[in-house]
Amino acid sequence: MPSSRLILRIQEIASRTNLTSVAVSFYDYETTVHFSFHAERAFHAASTIKVPFMLAVFRAVDEGKLKLESRLHVRNRFRSIVDGSTFRVSSQRDGDADIYKQRGHAVPISELVKAMIVRSSNLATNLLFDYLGRDYIRGVIEEARLAGIRVERGVEDEVAFAQGLNNEVSAGGLLNLFRLLCERQFLSEKSCQQMIDVLLGQEFNRMIPAKLPDNARVAHKTGEISTICHDAGIVYLPDRQPYIVVILTESGPGQEHRQKAVASISSAVFHYLTGTVKRDE
Amino acid sequence: MNELALKVVDGVKLDEERRALLRPGDTVHDARGRARVLPRFFYEIDSWDQAKRTFLSPHFRLSELISVDCREAALLLETFPHYVPCAISILSRYLEAFRQKADAPVFVSANGGYRSPAHALSQVASPHLWATAANVYRVGDTFLDDPASIEKYGRMAEGVAPEIFAKPYGHGEHETDDHVHLDIGYVTYVPHQAEDAA
Repeated sequence: MPSSRLILRIQEIASRTNLTSVAVSFYDYETTVHFSFHAERAFHAASTIKVPFMLAVFRAVDEGKLKLESRLHVRNRFRSIVDGSTFRVSSQRDGDADIYKQRGHAVPISELVKAMIVRSSNLATNLLFDYLGRDYIRGVIEEARLAGIRVERGVEDEVAFAQGLNNEVSAGGLLNLFRLLCERQFLSEKSCQQMIDVLLGQEFNRMIPAKLPDNARVAHKTGEISTICHDAGIVYLPDRQPYIVVILTESGPGQEHRQKAVASISSAVFHYLTGTVKRDE
Repeated sequence: MNELALKVVDGVKLDEERRALLRPGDTVHDARGRARVLPRFFYEIDSWDQAKRTFLSPHFRLSELISVDCREAALLLETFPHYVPCAISILSRYLEAFRQKADAPVFVSANGGYRSPAHALSQVASPHLWATAANVYRVGDTFLDDPASIEKYGRMAEGVAPEIFAKPYGHGEHETDDHVHLDIGYVTYVPHQAEDAA
């Protein structure tokens, strides 16, 4: 299938599922095919920003500033980056309620990283963001030359949200981040592999992996808020090199099929890259 | 094992690296700029296991009152022996009395007992550096994270003894909104085992 047909297929899925915006980028290590569709467009990052946060954690580990086994005090109290007002994250809106049971205790960084990624814990995310600091995370992203990723704040900082201060990602930016991991760049080999291992443990699997063969393994991170539905990661298939795919979408509020839209686009990319016959979506 | 089994150490005789972090006998300033002299005598703790086995009072283990996170200086966090000002045994008596009054288990948070002057949260002199303060985040099944519970247990703590100070509820610098901070001021304790303190 030529890439023009893939673009048509993406547009068709977007139209059918009422997406108002879609961006797709992928890189295939088997064929070296690099595909970009609105890859520079900036989206609200939602929880995909947790991958750059994890990159910063592992950078700090590589720099000797942090140890994964070090412990961090679990405290649900944060300050807005705008005015310093305090806020808490809600356990009801968090993918991982278990971390809230650890309030008062000191928990290993490795456990917080895992909770932030595999169950998308907002509490774990803000604890790590607070500890590392926005400036450090921004510095890491700049040093890694990840254009298209903009870090403003932790999660659920409503004062910042009201002022339009949001984290942003582009498909191209996230693709380049995942390439660093696959190509063992920027971080030590050990840290790259540890990040991939954490991402392979992802428990939210209704998008990129949903329509892939059962033997596919996907190291990925999703991101969803009211009008945003993203997924980005590395797809490992037997007997071939992996590929990285980033799918960012935006739709009107209350769209029920947006996860299916991302899954369908992931499926289209899979069939495009493997040359297999496309099933009816 | 009880607290009497802990060795008392004169902080000024510690190695240079630890002295620089613990600053025994140094003058530091509180948030209002008032000078305070840091404690000089410490209990020496040989292992985490010893800290867990040591009950300073019937319900408070030494380990609970020295639990810190990675904001503590690496040397103090990662290597034993650890050192804690001797007044920690006095704090535990007040916590015990508070527990009795609350009639429920009292939980002290990480970073909520003793923190060294080198801890990242030790920007100014606070009784935590004297091991005479505790951040209680939970009493029984109640997490202290709202005005009602913080004020209730803060008043209760202050009712235990006139030496106890509890921070009021609020979001400012000298207030708390997710625990009850109680302390007994800048108390230093020189046990009989201590060598010449002159």
